Amino acid sequence: MKILEKMSSIDRRVIFLLVALAVIIPLVANIGLPSRPGKYTIEMYGFIDRLPAKSQPLLIDATYSPSMMPELQPMLKAILRHCFARKVRVMLMTLDPNGPALCEAALREVAPEYNAVYGEDYVFLGFKPGSSAVIMAIGENVRQAFPADNYGKPLSEFPMMADVRNYADIPLVVSIAGSAITQGWVIYAGTRYHASVGAGCTAVSTADYYPFLQSGQLVGLLNGMKGASEYEWLNQRNGYSTARREAGKGMDAVSIVHLLLMLFIVLGNIGYLAGRRAAQKQ
Amino acid sequence: MIFSTNPWVWVAAILTLCIFSFLYRENPFYRFAEHLFVGVSAGYGVAVYFNNAIMPNLYVPVFVHHDYLFIIPGLIGMMFFFRFSSKLGFLILIPLAMLLGMSSGMGIAPTIQADIIRQMQSTIGDATSAGQGGWALVWGIVTFIGVIATLSYFFFSREQKGALKVSANIGIWFIMIGFGASFGNTVMARISLLIGRVQFLLTDWIHIIK
Amino acid sequence: MRRQIPLMLVLVLGIFFFIQFFVPSRLSTNIYQVSLQWLILISAFAIVLAIGSLVNHHLLKIKRRREHWPYSYATLAGLVVMSLLGILGRFPGLGLLDEIYYRLYLFVQAPMDAAMFAILAFYMASASYRAFRARSKEALLLLVSGFFIMLGVIPLGALIWDRIPDIAEWIMMVPNMAAKRGILFGVGLGITATSLKIILGIERSWLGGGGK
Repeated sequence: MKILEKMSSIDRRVIFLLVALAVIIPLVANIGLPSRPGKYTIEMYGFIDRLPAKSQPLLIDATYSPSMMPELQPMLKAILRHCFARKVRVMLMTLDPNGPALCEAALREVAPEYNAVYGEDYVFLGFKPGSSAVIMAIGENVRQAFPADNYGKPLSEFPMMADVRNYADIPLVVSIAGSAITQGWVIYAGTRYHASVGAGCTAVSTADYYPFLQSGQLVGLLNGMKGASEYEWLNQRNGYSTARREAGKGMDAVSIVHLLLMLFIVLGNIGYLAGRRAAQKQ
Repeated sequence: MIFSTNPWVWVAAILTLCIFSFLYRENPFYRFAEHLFVGVSAGYGVAVYFNNAIMPNLYVPVFVHHDYLFIIPGLIGMMFFFRFSSKLGFLILIPLAMLLGMSSGMGIAPTIQADIIRQMQSTIGDATSAGQGGWALVWGIVTFIGVIATLSYFFFSREQKGALKVSANIGIWFIMIGFGASFGNTVMARISLLIGRVQFLLTDWIHIIK
Repeated sequence: MRRQIPLMLVLVLGIFFFIQFFVPSRLSTNIYQVSLQWLILISAFAIVLAIGSLVNHHLLKIKRRREHWPYSYATLAGLVVMSLLGILGRFPGLGLLDEIYYRLYLFVQAPMDAAMFAILAFYMASASYRAFRARSKEALLLLVSGFFIMLGVIPLGALIWDRIPDIAEWIMMVPNMAAKRGILFGVGLGITATSLKIILGIERSWLGGGGK
């Protein structure tokens, strides 16, 4: 009985050590567990896959800071790879003041892989403060919010922007965000301006966005590292990318840590029930 | 184990370890990294606001395109500086009022449409579309019950007894399952963040992972 | 007067833009478009409040030699160096500064930000172990739902039993969605009510002490 009761008093440092090992070992061992893309990842992927090449650009809003990087940066890179491989044009922007360098890092890594040309295949609009005001301003005219790109060059100088005025010229807005701004895109871009909105979010907020998925206000949803991993897998399966699957590798470690955590919770509960039973007997 | 020869990677790795040292206990390395982080990120923000907002949305329109109308919001925005004046501090209420008034007015109708009307349509639609039949209709009805029950749990205008209590109790079950779903996903989110850092240390710093 | 003018501004602007949504005449649309540009610009200056408070706090800490005051130099140095590099780097011929600014972000700011959130994983594991107890039927429901989601989102879940991802998806789309939608109704109504209260001057906390 004492062993059972002791199960609920494992030292904090032992837990820390086990969590660290559960992360490190799968990463080093290179397990390579198979991915099974979820319904909403496939829907998002399919939407982008159906966009014709060299047509109107899609708008990606990468609103997150480095703290959410492991979940969202692979997502951004995977979507960029998909677009560049299919010659779908991209406008990239951020509503997080900590976002521009992360967007820049993703573009510096991915664009050369596909020889994507700045101004013809993609434009980086940069950061703009005001959140919902920016979303609404794009609905009137993208130049109202972004008179120039991230580097101060007027948008009129880019050939791909010639016919882009507002959401009517943007087939899809993808909100990759670590905050509630995705809801802002649904409310303002989706509802007020009838734009199609897809989302990639941190797993923390995934459950909150299901009402929007079910009502059709979101065309697809990528769920944190899992969503990114599935998107990477779809890219590879369709021959759009040969890059290392960052999120895919991470999911191996997530699997092991989840099992470990579940074990901790079960042990904790066994110890708790044993303790309660012992107290009742006394 | 081959260490990186890139000094930037070393800086990043050492700072990461400084933050991780908090797991042992609070210490000077952690404190230094924490303070540095606050300063660097604030500095990064200042430059980003200046380069991406003040320059293209104020300086260029006024001084390059001579669109002097932009001086007005510029001046209103600058009233935020009065925050540091003991006598004129009240003037920051002007830009605040502009922000609040405009965003509140612009936000009400779309919020009602997106968060309430569309959600209502969807809930009722799925629970009453007999055409879809089978399990889809069953889950549509379950969802309808769940939404009503959850709402009744948060209904505090009447004492929760009788039918309202039953409904509120069903609401708690739905809410608990919802919180469980959030918990399960949150675990993945937090683990992902740790994995990101460990991947950096093992891939970029000590080239263990190829 | 100090409070009346801001309150009047909120009332007029709030009512105007609420009506503008339903009556998008040419004039009102033009005003709306100009106002959006103004809103973006005014929001940009709000950073003054954050940076000003930060600098004030650390200068005061150094001046009064409060606990751990020497670390405040790291904050202030980081602030000055990063902002100067970022702003000056955009000037012609100073591109190198911009590159250093970019690298300082990637190799100094980003790792620390990411690491701070990464350590939460350890605390979450420890807290789940200590506090996640099936003390009641409701808590058990939460636990079971959480377990299915934790198994459903990982590749191993499908290897254990291929129906687990489907069960997890059902939990997300039916009971979870119903609960979150109920909460969303509340949030939507809350936002609407708060906005109306602000516009009508019932909610005045934003006036703070500035109006006194």
